[in-house]
Amino acid sequence: MNLEQQIKDAMQQVAELSDCQLVEPIEANTLLLECGLDSLGYAMLVAQLEEDLGFDPFTELAIETYPSTFAEFLAIYKQCKSNQ
Amino acid sequence: MTNLIAQLRKRETSGVLKTSVQQSAIADLITKAYKIRSQAPQLAAKKVAILPSPIEDLIVGLLAFDGFCEAIYLCPANTALPPVEDLHLWSFTSELSVEVKSTTTSKQTTWYMATSGTTGKPKWFGHSFEALTASIKYSDNLQKQSWGLLYQAYRFAGLQVVLQALLSSADLVDVTGHEPINQVELMALHQVTAVSATPSLWRQLLMTQQLDTLPLRHITLGGEIAEQALLTQLSRLFPKAKLRHIYASTEAGVGFVVADGQAGFPTKWLDNPSLPIELDISEQHHLLVKPQCSVESDAPLLLNSKGFMDTQDRIEIIGDRVFFLGRATGAINVGGNKAYPEKVEQVLLSCDAISQARVYAKKSAMMGELVAADVVLRSDPLITQSDVSMIKLQILKECKKQLQRFEIPTKISFVDNVAYNPSGKLNRQSIGKQHD
Repeated sequence: MNLEQQIKDAMQQVAELSDCQLVEPIEANTLLLECGLDSLGYAMLVAQLEEDLGFDPFTELAIETYPSTFAEFLAIYKQCKSNQ
Repeated sequence: MTNLIAQLRKRETSGVLKTSVQQSAIADLITKAYKIRSQAPQLAAKKVAILPSPIEDLIVGLLAFDGFCEAIYLCPANTALPPVEDLHLWSFTSELSVEVKSTTTSKQTTWYMATSGTTGKPKWFGHSFEALTASIKYSDNLQKQSWGLLYQAYRFAGLQVVLQALLSSADLVDVTGHEPINQVELMALHQVTAVSATPSLWRQLLMTQQLDTLPLRHITLGGEIAEQALLTQLSRLFPKAKLRHIYASTEAGVGFVVADGQAGFPTKWLDNPSLPIELDISEQHHLLVKPQCSVESDAPLLLNSKGFMDTQDRIEIIGDRVFFLGRATGAINVGGNKAYPEKVEQVLLSCDAISQARVYAKKSAMMGELVAADVVLRSDPLITQSDVSMIKLQILKECKKQLQRFEIPTKISFVDNVAYNPSGKLNRQSIGKQHD
């Protein structure tokens, strides 16, 4: 499974656990804050992805500005994965 | 061997106790204390509980009973009385009129204070006057200070402020029980120069936007982790003030002061036998302290082979600095919401498949901390990986039913066993041994 799909699956899982409804479809320029997850939802998503992928780029790369679009979020994970 | 009243009589007691309604010279409180001793000789060498009282009465009681009674129990409001036989309850209701010659005594009194345990049942720890006043400073400069009291005087931190003010002949301004805005006004009115408070209280005081109306010279933080942002904010607002943060363990009766304005404490303080208080780090990265003076408690302290006690405070060494991370057994702070490990563990244990559970904090760049759990499955040799995935979903379903969102574990690891620390409590440090 590619990274993009893994992230989308994890988003779905978190949304179900949080009783949130994700927007359809999520595209590259979809704003994260408009995806349907709140700040706790994103924290849960990052934790879930750490479980699935084995890394947390927000801790490992000490990212100071948070991504605003899905594409930016994905890029951070791609960058961190290539560093692994 | 000394006691409070004897110590105060050594020097001129010019201090004044100020509240929102009255002012009393400490010298007058000393006179009242002697009256109590002469009117209540039956209390000599007995155990006395000081029930919740106004600050003036509490101080009179401390002056009267230290060096006179066998033990003083400081009973805060809403706390069960200590389970002690032959305890005399003292509530300051009787009017004192007869003056009799002061009773002299050289009794060594133990001061008992309650700490709130995780279960809500208070634990009582006894300290000698020497131990309680070990960190009290005396100087002419300190005599000119006016201390603001924001803590309940029945607790360790509040008592330290009261004793510091009394023993240095400084003024004491009681602002407990007021709203932050009134606290600042009252302290400004009485020109308070020295304040000791928790970081949370300091943040509240800062939020009033009027804290700079106080002529503060001594700023003390204690009781919670003092983070750098707050220290920096306070030192900017009061560049001339002495800024200190205190670490204290009521159980061990020890504490130390960090005075360089930086969060944490120097790494070289660890494993340094030449320091007045010996500190060390455990394998679990907990701060270890060596109890100095004997502490009396119904629950004996658990010491390792070198005589150190585990404070259950998690620490991290970064270069030449040691930083506090939080309580090993304490609440998990999820973006300001507190999740209690015990509560989440109970929910996990209500799932049929789980035999043991350990809940702990997991760091999160977004929320500070998140809830994580290690669980042990009931032994079943036929269990497969897909069963485990199914069980995980069931667990999450159960959690969703019984817990708030921030309490639901974001990480569930299946492990062979959960770690217990030497006191038999679950070890909630955030390192789980992965099974799958």
